Amino acid sequence: MADTVSDRPNSSVLDVEAVRRDFPILSETVYGKPLVFMDSGASAQKPRQVIDAMRHCMEHQYSNVHRGAHYLSAATTDAFEQARDRVAQFLNAASPDEIIFTPNVTAAINLVAHAYGRAFLKAGDEVIVSEMEHHANIVPWQLLAEATGVVLRVAPVEDDGSFRIERFAELLNDRTKLVSITHCSNVLGTNVPAKEVARLAHAAGARVMFDGAQAVVHGPVDVRDIDADFYGFTAHKLYGPSGLGVLYGKLDILNSMPPFLGGGDMIDKVSFKGSTFKEAPHRFEAGTPAIVEAIGLHAAINYVADIGFDAIRAHEAGLRDYAHERLSAIDGMRLIGTAPDKAAIISFLVDGLHPYDVAAVLDRQGVACRVGHHCAEPLMDRLGIIGTVRATLAMYNTKAEIDVLGEAIEKAKKMLS
Amino acid sequence: MAREEYEDFAEALEALDDDMRFEFLLDLAKKQDASDFPEEWKTDANLMHGCMSKVWLVHEEREGRHWFRGASEAAIVKGLVHMMVQSFSGLTSEEIRAISLDDVRRLNLGALTFQRQVGMMAMLKQIQKLAGQPVARETAGA
Ligand SMILES: Cc1ncc(COP(=O)(O)O)c(C=O)c1O
Repeated sequence: MADTVSDRPNSSVLDVEAVRRDFPILSETVYGKPLVFMDSGASAQKPRQVIDAMRHCMEHQYSNVHRGAHYLSAATTDAFEQARDRVAQFLNAASPDEIIFTPNVTAAINLVAHAYGRAFLKAGDEVIVSEMEHHANIVPWQLLAEATGVVLRVAPVEDDGSFRIERFAELLNDRTKLVSITHCSNVLGTNVPAKEVARLAHAAGARVMFDGAQAVVHGPVDVRDIDADFYGFTAHKLYGPSGLGVLYGKLDILNSMPPFLGGGDMIDKVSFKGSTFKEAPHRFEAGTPAIVEAIGLHAAINYVADIGFDAIRAHEAGLRDYAHERLSAIDGMRLIGTAPDKAAIISFLVDGLHPYDVAAVLDRQGVACRVGHHCAEPLMDRLGIIGTVRATLAMYNTKAEIDVLGEAIEKAKKMLS
Repeated sequence: MAREEYEDFAEALEALDDDMRFEFLLDLAKKQDASDFPEEWKTDANLMHGCMSKVWLVHEEREGRHWFRGASEAAIVKGLVHMMVQSFSGLTSEEIRAISLDDVRRLNLGALTFQRQVGMMAMLKQIQKLAGQPVARETAGA
């Protein structure tokens, strides 16, 4: 049931109107106005290929996986494991056994903090994150620090949102045991030079994890080229379903780690004298997994691959540059995050206006943005702001929509000042 | 009693179109000046939790009636806060207890987005809590 985008040849030019037709929700109206959806950074919309794959599973194939001795169970197990294969390919992992399905990327990071952190890190060891982390990549390490005495260190970001590798490198020392950094900031769009971070971390004797929640959406990720020890992402931002995340881990590291959650599916043998556990990935997948969601993610990856990251990147770069230009023309506009290497995530403030008020007016014009601290309060503190309005531009957004955004901001200015 | 104010607000909002509703709320916000809610009241203790923009509410009881004052950083929310505290100040405990979520829905009637409606309901609950009254719940079937 691999539904491909057969009517669209893979090329480096993205046909945005054809893409939009694949996303049923984009033809909705809100308050009687056409929906301009610019909140894909929080969660992306789903193409019909994903919706169809999930429906097909539930209508024709559904059963629990790895358990039943019947036709449907075998078929669903097969489809579920194919999804794992597809994710492995997508990240260029060496083996599907390196792909663990989790509920979301938050769970993936918690898994590493718990299973790896508590087994291998001890008081005085250092974990490095950055100032632009999502809370998902801060709080698990704080919990680990409280439990074990591990010390959390924070790599700085520059005023324009850039991540300077030399300032990160200054934090590395022989106590550094783990580096866990976002591959792309969900607020600033800043891309982090992951390969270089991994090289430096490894040279210091540390393991390295990346939070790829935003990065996997905007460009190809090759975990072996980066040489990441762990890499996490979340399906719902990659045009797939909610309820599913992925943790990639190098196989030898995963198999050296104790389980995180205990239960069915993850054991080798259970008795009241003690239990033994399966190898990765199953060791870390206790209980019934998100079966239909994994099949949906498979379809989402196929969808993205059919369009191609060359085309997606070129399209989104065009949108990003146009948005910067269009919004900069507005008097009092302050773009937050203008690093030279950034994804199409546009955070902004308008002088004298509360971001919440701006977003409220945008909403009424049909423009869906996110407003607030974006689960990155330490970054807000670092930049000295209370929050931003954030427009995320995805493969289905258009320049015409950016014009609507621009006009809506101008309207907000008029109404609010 | 302040219920009349509340009726006035509800009727005014109902009669306005989208843009005008914003204007209406912004005008309410502008009516509030610094003396209504001095900076030193903007403490964590007076902060309502779980709002997207900060909302502060203070409460005072005089001769068996409850009085509220509120503020917010965001102008639209400030207008909403103003509407709420005007509507529900001067009531007795009994009257405060009787305010339902449907009353708040009425005030919103098509005027505001869902998110703000949720915020308004949270404000009502906070007002009831500050007045030492049980907070409104959804009635079955609502
Ligand atoms: C960079 C980053 N990390 C982590 C997350 C958390 O994702 P999830 O809620 O799916 O675990 C998000 C999105 O909210 C994000 O943008």
